[in-house]
Amino acid sequence: MATDTRVILICSGKGGVGKTTLTANLGISLARQGFTTAVLDADFGLRNLDLLLGLENRIVYTAQEVLEEECRLDQALVKHKQEANLSLLPAGNPRMLDWLKPDDMRRIVDMLKEQFNYVLIDCPAGVEDGFKNAMAASQEAIVVTNPEVSAVRDADRVIGLLNTNAIKPVQLVLNRVRPKMMANQEMLSIDDVTDILALPLLGLVLEDEQVIVSTNRGEPLTLNSLNSPAAKCYLNIAKRLQGEDIPLIDPLEESSGFGAKFRRLMQTKIF
Amino acid sequence: MNSKPQKIIVNIQDCKYPSWKVCLRNKLKYLKSSNLEIDCKNLDLSCTDLLEVIAISNQSNCTVISVCSTSLKTTVSAQSLGYKSQFIIENHLNETLKINEKNITISKTNFHQGTVRSGEYLESSGDLLILGDVNPGAKVSAEGNIIIWGRLLGIAHAGSKGDSKSTISALQLRPVQLRIASRVARGPKEKPQLGFAEQARIDSEEIIICPLETT
Repeated sequence: MATDTRVILICSGKGGVGKTTLTANLGISLARQGFTTAVLDADFGLRNLDLLLGLENRIVYTAQEVLEEECRLDQALVKHKQEANLSLLPAGNPRMLDWLKPDDMRRIVDMLKEQFNYVLIDCPAGVEDGFKNAMAASQEAIVVTNPEVSAVRDADRVIGLLNTNAIKPVQLVLNRVRPKMMANQEMLSIDDVTDILALPLLGLVLEDEQVIVSTNRGEPLTLNSLNSPAAKCYLNIAKRLQGEDIPLIDPLEESSGFGAKFRRLMQTKIF
Repeated sequence: MNSKPQKIIVNIQDCKYPSWKVCLRNKLKYLKSSNLEIDCKNLDLSCTDLLEVIAISNQSNCTVISVCSTSLKTTVSAQSLGYKSQFIIENHLNETLKINEKNITISKTNFHQGTVRSGEYLESSGDLLILGDVNPGAKVSAEGNIIIWGRLLGIAHAGSKGDSKSTISALQLRPVQLRIASRVARGPKEKPQLGFAEQARIDSEEIIICPLETT
């Protein structure tokens, strides 16, 4: 039985910034490191965490049936095919949208806490009931945002709400960073974002076409394609979550191309 | 069945009771279905606490309409739950002065520490001093002056009751919109120089921004 379970809410305010992708990849990475991890899909109206993990066809029960005592918790938990440490629990059925209350959420999470080291809650977009439910059972949070004005504005709103609910610590992940655009100042810089949000930066994730491929295949990047740039970023985030001190990648260096990278390699490795 | 004619103010911070929950339950015993305004005094209540207040009230068939408190945390929590809330400034200094010399009016200064984030709204019936940034999407307003020890990136309204002598000062003034009394101005397009505090005030019927002078 795990004693000090960390319950982490992954939220953003705006939709489509990469909450679910981060949840899936972080889940796989943490499981790889040997932690028993549960990912709870609180976005059950439009649930697709199961798709990303390739577990859609294995879902039989949801948390709703567990709470109504129609099944046991271990019947509803869907174990990942390759990563036995990772389990998925869908919070509910897309056809019954109104059933979940903050208290239900607390009960589910309390049950999960007994079995797992990590509980990651994939929060729905928006700041309405779905968000409030997901927030009710969380102790800490990761706010995902993109380097664009609207995503940052929504993240700011969400951080305000997290603060009034005493959720600590709240950390930031800046997703879909395009180094070239950032270097040309066509995109908000990292400093622009952290200045406004005033949160510790847990990590950057580079824009990567492989993310789309992996989503469609139902295999998170951190599972099989560890060489893709985004997968490395996700792995670093998982390590930093453990308190490991891993320096952030510098998008400006990433953008300067192969030549510069090669030169840097020469300097560091040989001399 | 029951008509809910008027609002009853319930004070849940009463030293006669060991905790506010007991206090609220006891006070509700004597009320029959009514609309409540909850006076939380200086209690720091989170959203979860307030939801409990609402649940307890509902059990006695009462409806919470609004919340007032001298704690900023409680006020913000109530606002985020969508309840009407009023922030009351407690000024002990002011109280004692009133007793000594009756006709002195002192403007109350409301103080906020921390970032004011998007969607949040701060209001003061006197001056407003903010130690932190006012982010884009946030709004602050005061009947007197606004002083921000940080960056103003959102909307600020000084002299909200019509005092056109009010000013808005910030370490970095980059607002979306500035309002003083009934005047409205859009924020400047270009970024201001770093390291110079600036002040906005009304000069010949228009809002101007000038370097902050210390006199």
